Amino acid sequence: MKKIFYLGFFALLIAFAACSKVDNYAAPGDTVTGATYDEVTGQTLQTEVGSGTRVELLEISYDSAPVPFYFYSMQDGTFNDDKVFGATYKVSVQGPFVPLIVTDSTGVVITDSSQTIVLKNKATLKFNVQPFLRIQWVGTPVLNPDTTVTVRVVVTRGTNNATYQLPVTDINLYVSNTQYDGNNNYDPRYSSLTSYSDSAGMAVIGDTLTLTTTGGALPAQDVYFRVGARINAGLDEYNYNTPVSITYP
Amino acid sequence: MKKLIIIVLFAAGLLAALASCRKLNIPPKNIIQDADIFTSSNGIQSYMARIYSELPIEDFRYTPARGLNFFWIISATPCTTGEAIGRDQTNSMQENFSGWSWDIWGGSYTVIRDCDYFIQTLPTYASNFTATQVQAWIAEAYFVRGMTYFGLVKRFGGVPIVNKVLNYVPGTTTDSLEVPRASEKACWDQVDSDFTYAMNNLPAVNADYSDGSRANKYVAAAFESRAMLYAGSTAKYNTITLYDAADNQLCGIPAADAAGYFQKALNAANVLNGMYSLYLTSWSATDPNAQYNNFVNLFSDAASKENVFVREYNYPNSVHGYDAYNVPRQLIGPNGYSAETNPTLNFVEMFGGLPRNADGTLQTLDASGHYLLYDSTMDLFANAEPRLRGTVILPGDMFKNESIEIRRGIYTGPSGGGISPLLPAGSKAQYPTGDLVTSPTAAQTAYALPDGTLMNPAGLSGIFTGDQTCAISGFSVRKWLNPNLTVAQTLENNETQTWIEMRYAEVLLNRAEADWELYTLGQGGASAQTDAMTVINQIRSRAGATPWTSFGATPLDTIRYERRKELAFENKTYWDLKRWRIFDKEQNGTIYRILMPFWSATAGKYFFDARSDERNDVYTYNPIWYYEQLPSGAITKSTNVIQNPGY
Repeated sequence: MKKIFYLGFFALLIAFAACSKVDNYAAPGDTVTGATYDEVTGQTLQTEVGSGTRVELLEISYDSAPVPFYFYSMQDGTFNDDKVFGATYKVSVQGPFVPLIVTDSTGVVITDSSQTIVLKNKATLKFNVQPFLRIQWVGTPVLNPDTTVTVRVVVTRGTNNATYQLPVTDINLYVSNTQYDGNNNYDPRYSSLTSYSDSAGMAVIGDTLTLTTTGGALPAQDVYFRVGARINAGLDEYNYNTPVSITYP
Repeated sequence: MKKLIIIVLFAAGLLAALASCRKLNIPPKNIIQDADIFTSSNGIQSYMARIYSELPIEDFRYTPARGLNFFWIISATPCTTGEAIGRDQTNSMQENFSGWSWDIWGGSYTVIRDCDYFIQTLPTYASNFTATQVQAWIAEAYFVRGMTYFGLVKRFGGVPIVNKVLNYVPGTTTDSLEVPRASEKACWDQVDSDFTYAMNNLPAVNADYSDGSRANKYVAAAFESRAMLYAGSTAKYNTITLYDAADNQLCGIPAADAAGYFQKALNAANVLNGMYSLYLTSWSATDPNAQYNNFVNLFSDAASKENVFVREYNYPNSVHGYDAYNVPRQLIGPNGYSAETNPTLNFVEMFGGLPRNADGTLQTLDASGHYLLYDSTMDLFANAEPRLRGTVILPGDMFKNESIEIRRGIYTGPSGGGISPLLPAGSKAQYPTGDLVTSPTAAQTAYALPDGTLMNPAGLSGIFTGDQTCAISGFSVRKWLNPNLTVAQTLENNETQTWIEMRYAEVLLNRAEADWELYTLGQGGASAQTDAMTVINQIRSRAGATPWTSFGATPLDTIRYERRKELAFENKTYWDLKRWRIFDKEQNGTIYRILMPFWSATAGKYFFDARSDERNDVYTYNPIWYYEQLPSGAITKSTNVIQNPGY
């Protein structure tokens, strides 16, 4: 009986002893926030959710060539991550715009517009970039008598950099029942996708384009429209305008 | 008493301690030693069996979703390339390494290490064998290593090159083991050098196995032509680049190197001239039916002189389930599946002998915009190229002595004055249900036709509206299916037909493409053009297709389409679309097209509706996938290994 008591006592002692030591590193709690801006219009640069503009953090206080940490920006080009370890970071953004870090054909860095921060509590960053293409609405979407919708847009160059004066390969009118509308999320029944040949893709720059939904009448529900366009550069990502909705009469 | 016990125990302990000091140098009986393997040809055979079994070839047990050497072949490779659609694959995809049971990175480097070890160790034991044997076996290890590097570099670009066995010495740093990625060009040159070594040192016939399952000189040459064509295409068409800190180009090859690689591809392809030939055993120049049967038999005749390199299966040790997954629905095996691979209309339209509209698409309407009517679904394909029938089961064609019945439904609307299209041109909407009788599943209720006879709304192999285990595109795959397999035996892990990884037709197609690429790069001249045309016409003649007579505006496309038709459903198109860098052009918000046969109850005839995939599955290939994501484990283990762009 006594033996059992002693055994139990020791077991308890050991159990408590094991609990006493706290050697966990505190959870990350610092914040990196900010946005990517079109340097001409001053507006945040539209992108797509989950696969568009992403933020790269390189923790350089420990290693000169660290494994990068990435997170994606929100659709409107703003970004916010509130679970980052406080440290020294080299921060840049990657997306459908002239890269912040430009290398020559053998990999030598020519320009580097990334920002180095010492993160403590919170850092707010502002990246001014030159989008490959700038897509702007002309007027508002028009609901046609057959319940299709026609929009008008103009696609212009967002940069004077000669390397990126490439033909437009695609201009797509995306239709979705949420505002998170883009190449990775659209309704294929109504969206209108157009690919351009090299010559047509050069000529289309600056034209006011009229795009109409396909597939007949749109359903009488919330529908959002957005136009994306791209050139064959970088990771072939799309530039977008802001999503808009229309009100049924 | 107590003291005595302690003394005895102490003495025993001392004794035991001393005893264990005796040096133990007896080889462990449960570990196979070099001397067990490298002293007999059986030992060498077991070593070869293992490294060959891990060759990264995309055979009956490969899908991008689940990887190499994995039995479950749903989400089949052709359903990612536009050759087909299938119920378990609904979009474009890159290879899903995290879902693979065989680790592409660790597994490949294990094979490379095994080859390095073999190359280093066998010479020590050379006295047990003839010099010819040793030379050939070492060359085989070079061949397997070249294949493995090829499997890595076509996925990742530059990878670490490890050509000797690395040994970790406990207590030292691992720095010397953390080999950085070499440039992509260096990796292709490594593949080139391994295959060239194999070509120069292997005999014309493999002395151990002469049936094409082990490498010989020509096997190495054939893969050299495939690999160098891949390298040349990458140099010419790739636009993604990545450099490391030392300016090695890990992704991409300078365009100036393209011609050199294409020339190597051409030279290697020409090594096989006269040694292999296209299979023509039951072929006849005048009989399309003989041409069709010949094309079917090509995939099952072990005596075929077209087979360059094959992977054999054996029940129950090494098996696959191709038929179980891919037979038409009406021949479904006891455990289910069937109809995973349904060729698209886009694919079928590549072939000759079909009625066409001005834009090249299949003609289904007459001049007045009404459906063309047919007594039998096969009438539409009466003049189709025989190779098409050998590749695809067309609606109504015979397979295993059954007519494969594919019908979307019965149209009960009026037919006087012609039947107008069910949907406006280009519509992606569902069919209107008013004048259609359809069936949701294979359990059908027969419909009484106007003359009183009963007819099931859908065919025995579909199409069912609520169950996709059927010919959802209107076609079913024919290539590779074993016509002699009984329904009861159509089971997973039960089939053993041979996979032909390399056949002479591909070597000819490599030659034609290399010819033409060299011509466009200003090399080779007119003789390269005519050589390409001659070679393509050999393929076309065997296929029963019309010959290529004038180069036309897009000759390179002619060569590429010939390749896609000939090698369809052989898991080659996936890599071709990648190396041509046109995957993202072909799959750019793409919905593939299908062909739906309907029976008109009032006309008593069939009509066909060509439309987009009823599921509205959109295929969009992301260009960053041209270089796959390195597994995160590879980067965690070695900080010298850097990730590809975009991941």
